[in-house]
Amino acid sequence: MEEGIYWPTFFFLLSSAVACFFAFMVLVSTNIVRMAFYLVLSLAATSGLFFLAGQDFVGAMQLMIYVGGTLVLLIFGVMLTSQERFVRMHTSGGDWVLSLLVGGGLCAVLVLTALGVPEWQAPERAAVEAIALENTATPIGMGLLGARVDTLSVEDEVQRGGMGGYLLFFEIVSVHLLVVLVGAAYLARAKRKQAVATS
Amino acid sequence: MSPIFASLLTEPVGVFHYIAVGAFLFTCGVLCMATKRNALGVLMGIELVLNGANLNFIAFGSKYLAGGDAPLGLDGPLIALFVIVLAAAEAAVALAIALNFYNNFDSIDIDRAEQLQG
Amino acid sequence: MESTATNALDLLPLLLCGAWLTPLASFVAILFFGKHMGAHGKTAGLVATGAIGFSFLLSCIALFGVWLPEHPLSGGHGHGGEHSEEHHGEEHGDEHGDGSHAALGGSPYQLTALAGGGDGHGDHANNPAPPHINGEWYSLGEFGDLKLTIGYYIDSLTVLMFCMVTLIATCVHLYATGYMHDELHDFTDPEVTLDNGELLTRPGRYWRFFQYLSLFCFSMLGIVIAGNIAMVFVFWELVGICSYFLIGFYVERKSASTAANKAFIVNRVGDFGMLIGLMALWSSLGTFSFGDLKNAEGEVVEQGMFSQLRTEENDYKLVPTESMAVEQARLSSDSEGEEAAEGEAAEATEEDATEETDKSGQWLLFIAGVGIFCGCVGKSAQFPLHVWLPDAMEGPTPVSALVHSATMVAAGVYLVGRFFPVFSPEALLVIAYVGCITLFLAATIAITATDIKRVLAYSTVSQLGYMMLALGLGAWTAGIFHLITHAFFKGLLFMCSGSVIHAVHTNEMTEMGGLRKKMPITAYTMLVGCLAIIGAGIPLTKIGLSGYYSKDAIIEQAFSFFGENPGHSLLLVAPVIGAMITAFYMFRLWYMTFCGEPRDAHRYDHAHESPSSMTTPLLIMSFFAIAVGWPFLGLVDLLEQGRPIGTQATTQGVLLPSLVLPDEHLSHLEPIKTQAGLTAFTAAAAGLLLATVIYLWRALNPAEIKQTFTPLYRALWNKWWFDELYHVVFTLPTLALGKVIAAIDKNLIDGLIHASARGSRGVSKVVELVFDRTVIDGSVNAFARGTWDVGVWLKRIQTGSLRQYVMFIAVGTLFVYLAATVVWLS
Repeated sequence: MEEGIYWPTFFFLLSSAVACFFAFMVLVSTNIVRMAFYLVLSLAATSGLFFLAGQDFVGAMQLMIYVGGTLVLLIFGVMLTSQERFVRMHTSGGDWVLSLLVGGGLCAVLVLTALGVPEWQAPERAAVEAIALENTATPIGMGLLGARVDTLSVEDEVQRGGMGGYLLFFEIVSVHLLVVLVGAAYLARAKRKQAVATS
Repeated sequence: MSPIFASLLTEPVGVFHYIAVGAFLFTCGVLCMATKRNALGVLMGIELVLNGANLNFIAFGSKYLAGGDAPLGLDGPLIALFVIVLAAAEAAVALAIALNFYNNFDSIDIDRAEQLQG
Repeated sequence: MESTATNALDLLPLLLCGAWLTPLASFVAILFFGKHMGAHGKTAGLVATGAIGFSFLLSCIALFGVWLPEHPLSGGHGHGGEHSEEHHGEEHGDEHGDGSHAALGGSPYQLTALAGGGDGHGDHANNPAPPHINGEWYSLGEFGDLKLTIGYYIDSLTVLMFCMVTLIATCVHLYATGYMHDELHDFTDPEVTLDNGELLTRPGRYWRFFQYLSLFCFSMLGIVIAGNIAMVFVFWELVGICSYFLIGFYVERKSASTAANKAFIVNRVGDFGMLIGLMALWSSLGTFSFGDLKNAEGEVVEQGMFSQLRTEENDYKLVPTESMAVEQARLSSDSEGEEAAEGEAAEATEEDATEETDKSGQWLLFIAGVGIFCGCVGKSAQFPLHVWLPDAMEGPTPVSALVHSATMVAAGVYLVGRFFPVFSPEALLVIAYVGCITLFLAATIAITATDIKRVLAYSTVSQLGYMMLALGLGAWTAGIFHLITHAFFKGLLFMCSGSVIHAVHTNEMTEMGGLRKKMPITAYTMLVGCLAIIGAGIPLTKIGLSGYYSKDAIIEQAFSFFGENPGHSLLLVAPVIGAMITAFYMFRLWYMTFCGEPRDAHRYDHAHESPSSMTTPLLIMSFFAIAVGWPFLGLVDLLEQGRPIGTQATTQGVLLPSLVLPDEHLSHLEPIKTQAGLTAFTAAAAGLLLATVIYLWRALNPAEIKQTFTPLYRALWNKWWFDELYHVVFTLPTLALGKVIAAIDKNLIDGLIHASARGSRGVSKVVELVFDRTVIDGSVNAFARGTWDVGVWLKRIQTGSLRQYVMFIAVGTLFVYLAATVVWLS
């Protein structure tokens, strides 16, 4: 088979380079406003990686919830606290050296460990090209409602019984989100006057 | 050279490549948490860590990276979704805490948050 | 052809003998007439320099005129070295697993290419003795079996060492004629203050300095040419005494005389071990000689120790002789009485070939090996006897360059290389671990040192550790290769530092800075030295400075060894981390000295480039520091030619059967080479980058870093408290013992009576005070206080700082991973 450029791999390299580069910029940047901007780019590039792995629904959610929602919250926080003296905060050189040493070790350990598992290496090109395109939103939506359409092909009755849906988790997460939002609103309520009065 | 790097561009990528990117994001996040003195910088570090973890779930749930049946199946993307939602919730609470801290101490420097010191 | 070959080779001992004795002649001449050689002995410098230059000439004739024509390098001339190396790799790659390998090159002497490999643990063709000539010049006397002679043993290693030592010595002599010119007139020592507050002024000692240097060259060459261990030992001690003279050259300075004493005494400790090793070898083998001694008809009259221990019947593997087994049995059963000894000895001789006695004699061999290595530990400043070398920097800088970097400390490594066939795998493991610990400790200490010569001294200790590690891992060629490349670039670095000190009159790097503009030649030759020592080169190619080849070869062997013995991961991790630290401190030194703003304006204004008698040797040496390792020059092939007998095949330990020493050539296979090359490059680049960030770009403040790592910094600054430890463990008890004995002496007579009376009164008090109050009350109080202190101490971990907690988590994860790896592998 003719070995031309495999474009998904090319885009993987592109997205991962963007994600890693801007993550690193987040790390080394000292300006909190720029950090927030770099983080947006890094997370957006990560959603590209999700698309490339065939999980378009999760990728879309990443863009919408994460980049669109969570980060807006963060940027809110930055704006609310961005007084001149907090925009740039200096960390001591010793902390930098120590954390770079530890971080380098951590990254090396993680990557080397992953490198040691042969099943995680790249698959054959032919095998990947043979996989048909599928709907990804349908099984996820049905799974959240409690029906696993993707397990219908499993023959074994007992095994299939073990693969339930995600309805309960879905409910828990929904309620959790509600509780958190209420709690956050309560926490963030301005009560400075009260605090000053008691102290 | 190792076969991983030799056939890049002509061969598809595998789970390992996603894990490597995830590990890098994770490390960047941890270092962000360890070196930033701004509480919001720490928060951004947490987001990076969660993203690194999410990449792993996606990688193990993807047919294209395994070249056949994925090890995690549908669990992968669903856990990733839950992580995204939890990250949103966590960001809301953390932001609330940060603002509260800012209101009370008039500072966002977490090195000043050391009242739990022994 | 045959007859001319014999004739030409007969010339070799004569040539080298001439090269060896010329410095002695110079020494004698200066000893008797030095004072009258011109004003303050100015001609003495010329005499000594001329003598060593003549030696260098003779050595060159010996190498290029006699040795190379008789023993051509494999693959012909010119680019042969490179070619054969590539060829080698292919051979191994193709036939991996077969075990049999084709011989390379056309020369009958190139037997070393018979490599053991593949599945093998030593059951493959091994190499016989390398081409050599040996004999005796003069017999000092015979006492029963004991024969003391002055002999020679010449192989390619000997010839190469002759060239290296004489070349560097010539450069240093030349350099010293410039450096020591202060001594040509009455010399006022700025560091010695007399009782009346004035500085000491004394007559110059120019001629005496060169007298010692000549004696030193003579002794060093004596070690190299020696044909038996007794002679090695004699010259070994001569080198030691020369070092004592030269370190204590400024004898009026207290620090210099203390350092000289320290060097001498510490070396004696190692030499004691060496004596034990010599006795073990002589009592069991009955000979001091390295090679077989032949009489005029060419019959062997006395077998040398190498051929006794590695016989042809045993495929040149290291097997203890019967006499060794008997000796060990006798020694181990001495306490059980004569009868048992005889019985066991007889048994041992009878069943020598059987399984049970396979280990007989191995212990004796191990002790002999470790004993001889002890001597090398002292001379080469290995852990735990490394403390003398940094102090030895009290001597003049040419001494540091010659004695304490390029040659004398190299004698220890050279001796390990010479005795290589005698070391059992277990003894080699000891050597490897000692080297590994040394290289790591010394490198860490060098990070904090601010005295420019001390940084270089610790880097010397560290590099010697690399050599010992390489030899201990079985990489004979890599170790000796690094010895030679290191001699050039370290000699260069020391001479550069001498040039800087000469210009600014201080050793402290904290008072230098920005000197690049004032003394460009020194700065850029030193940059060459720094790049050479960190092994700068382009990875995966054959292009680099000399250190690049030798250091990569060592790390390759470390990878190869680790592949066979995963339990000894320290032996791989330490050199890699050491390479990173090396790059860091060498460039810290260079940046602090030559870059940035001058820290001391006064010293900066007075700085100037050194005279040409000092810069010329710098240029010569930097040329060699760049080029000496280039593959097409064939240095490695020349070393391969001298590969000691029976060290080719992969060998396996006998006392530790799990220990496997892989064949050195296996480490040049492509996968290991790639891995090792990339690892070494990454480590060096990381260290270089860190030094650049901190000291050139000043992106991070060193003072802040110092503060973060305060406990570590303190440990490094105090050199891991080795000096204090030895002071407490050895010096203080000795002094205390002396005082105790003195006190007994003084007070014995009247003290005894008083003491008995006071004693009986005291006992009753003691019972009340000590037992009641101290023991009972005290133990309760101490327990309470201990609990309190532990609590207070533990409290400090709870800093309340979020960022620190994150670091704790990350470090903890790493630690758990490493612990799990260690447990898993073992």
